Amino acid sequence: MAYTNDGSATAPADATARAGAHRASSTTPPGDSTTQPGQDGPTRPRTPPAGRQRAQKRARVRTTEPFTVVSYIVVTLFALFCLIPLWMIVAGSFTDETKLSLDGYSLFPDPFSLDAYKALFSGQAIGRAYQATLFITVVGTALSVSCTAGLAWVIARRMRVISRPLTVFAYLPLLFNVGLVPMYLLITQVLQLRNSWFAVILPHMLMPFLVFITVAFFRQIPQEILDSARVDGASELRVFFRIVLPLSKAVIAVIALFYAVAYWNEWFWAILFLSDPDKYPLQQLLQNMIANVTNAAMLPGGNAPTVPVYQLRLALTAVTIGPIILAYPFAQRFFVKGLTLGATKG
Amino acid sequence: MAEMLSARPETDASGGSKGKKRRPAAPTERVSWSLALLAVPGVVYFLVFAYLPMAGLVVAFKDFNVSDGIFGSPWNGLDNFEYFISTGSAARIILNTVFLNALFLTATLAWGLLLAIMLNEIRLHMYKRVTQSVVFFPYFVSPIVISVMLQVLLAGVGGEGGAVNDMLNVFNLPTLTWYTEPGAWPWILTVVKVWQLGGYMSVIFLAAITAIPPDVYEAGVIDGASRARMAWSITVPLLRPTAAILVVLGIGRIFYGDFAVIYAIIGDNGVLFSTTDVIDTYVFRALRSLGDFGTTAAVGLFQAVLGFIFVTIAVLIQRRYARDSSIL
Repeated sequence: MAYTNDGSATAPADATARAGAHRASSTTPPGDSTTQPGQDGPTRPRTPPAGRQRAQKRARVRTTEPFTVVSYIVVTLFALFCLIPLWMIVAGSFTDETKLSLDGYSLFPDPFSLDAYKALFSGQAIGRAYQATLFITVVGTALSVSCTAGLAWVIARRMRVISRPLTVFAYLPLLFNVGLVPMYLLITQVLQLRNSWFAVILPHMLMPFLVFITVAFFRQIPQEILDSARVDGASELRVFFRIVLPLSKAVIAVIALFYAVAYWNEWFWAILFLSDPDKYPLQQLLQNMIANVTNAAMLPGGNAPTVPVYQLRLALTAVTIGPIILAYPFAQRFFVKGLTLGATKG
Repeated sequence: MAEMLSARPETDASGGSKGKKRRPAAPTERVSWSLALLAVPGVVYFLVFAYLPMAGLVVAFKDFNVSDGIFGSPWNGLDNFEYFISTGSAARIILNTVFLNALFLTATLAWGLLLAIMLNEIRLHMYKRVTQSVVFFPYFVSPIVISVMLQVLLAGVGGEGGAVNDMLNVFNLPTLTWYTEPGAWPWILTVVKVWQLGGYMSVIFLAAITAIPPDVYEAGVIDGASRARMAWSITVPLLRPTAAILVVLGIGRIFYGDFAVIYAIIGDNGVLFSTTDVIDTYVFRALRSLGDFGTTAAVGLFQAVLGFIFVTIAVLIQRRYARDSSIL
């Protein structure tokens, strides 16, 4: 029962139509609904043939209802609305500077130009920024995930003396947010981490919220599996590394992705703690460049820029978001799964 | 931060659950100290980065200077709080914070709900999967990138024109220089939040729709209800608990603005402060540009205490009425 949520969670209502069709053609045991949740399948699992046909006819008629048509239109429009700003960034980054400075934006890369990317990759800043972002993301995620998993398992084990105080201990930071100044003083005065990438990683290395997601998942692991390992003489630590972790790949993937995206997009702590331009991660480089170009554009009588500044900004934006776009088709599955974790549990 | 509504935490911080659970909530396992070692990094982390900074809050009652340090600086009682209130920004930023958060919460919830119902109507698997992925995508876009997108749309990449103004021109509507119009920004930011979180919310609601038993819809079909009617009279009422939890959690966090998005977009553009400056952005600016630790810490403490009260009430309400359906 523990893991039935995995597959079905991805696209909940997808299963509906499938389950419906499946049930119509063969008699499916009622228990099937736990793995393939159908919320409005047209037929009951055991309807007599005549009723089934009628229901199918109804199902076919239903798809042409106005509400369904409206739904398709609205969903399509919103999907376009989500994509257009993204498209404008990418298209603009390939559009010649002259067009951009005239219109301020571009829907099609016409006239096509690679100037910005050439300028971008000829400098060292982008390479350094990528390095910084990768360091923060990779090291940060590794630290976060290992701390989260370790803490979560000890809480999930419900051990005497330890587990309950630990729950409160990890829960309290979620309720009481100390705020900016104490964290600032801690990093700069006590730990002296100015201009260190760890200053960007540490402030939110452990998110209590993700700890509890992990605890929830760990508690679904059947006790019997753990007991049988112990009977075989496995130590507590061995049980964790050899049994619990391999069984929990789904939740580990989810929290790793949450942490990784948070680190990749992080700039708040970066602009507070990193003042050395060589240390800037991507987001900070981008933010810095927006500020500089704005300043440059406001300078009266300043020299005409020799580099395509507008196009460059869009190119840098595209480069910043590029890896997320590439990783998205893979990652999205896990995020949806994470959000719906346990949703189908009875 | 996100609320993963569907996960079942069974956290036992406030009294265990009774009956019907497979395993008793009370801690029953014997202590394994070697296993407890696994928690040490996490415990140390929370001690240093969550509990130790609480001591730093004394700065709120001090005339802080770096050379004397946190504990060496002289006390100045409530001067920092008085200063914050006397500048006149206090009422404005608190009102902005609450107003904007309420606006964001209402808009993203309503749109997420509608979108979930409409996504649920789509019967073509592939199309549904693709649109669902697309509407979820903005959730991953960083605040800085959002600010670039917004600038392209509202002002053009170089600060002249912009796509929205060009569209207004097409329809002969008056154009605006958006970045100098404080009145428009609560609504612009709301659209940004809907863009960013609409798909995310819809995933939460879709998960809840999945849990609705098929029988009720069958009953609806038998009674000859249209799809729209069933959405309105069956789906919406059955999603009310989920929506209620989201509202409660949102209200719990109403004093914490979404700092990142607002600051990335507005930055230090003082023209727009009257409608967009929230507690978080105020604190951040005060610290970064003025280096005023005392006042900043005072505002932070004020926010933390109010936030704590609201979050705690929210969690208690939710534990009482909906403990089975949510993480917190």
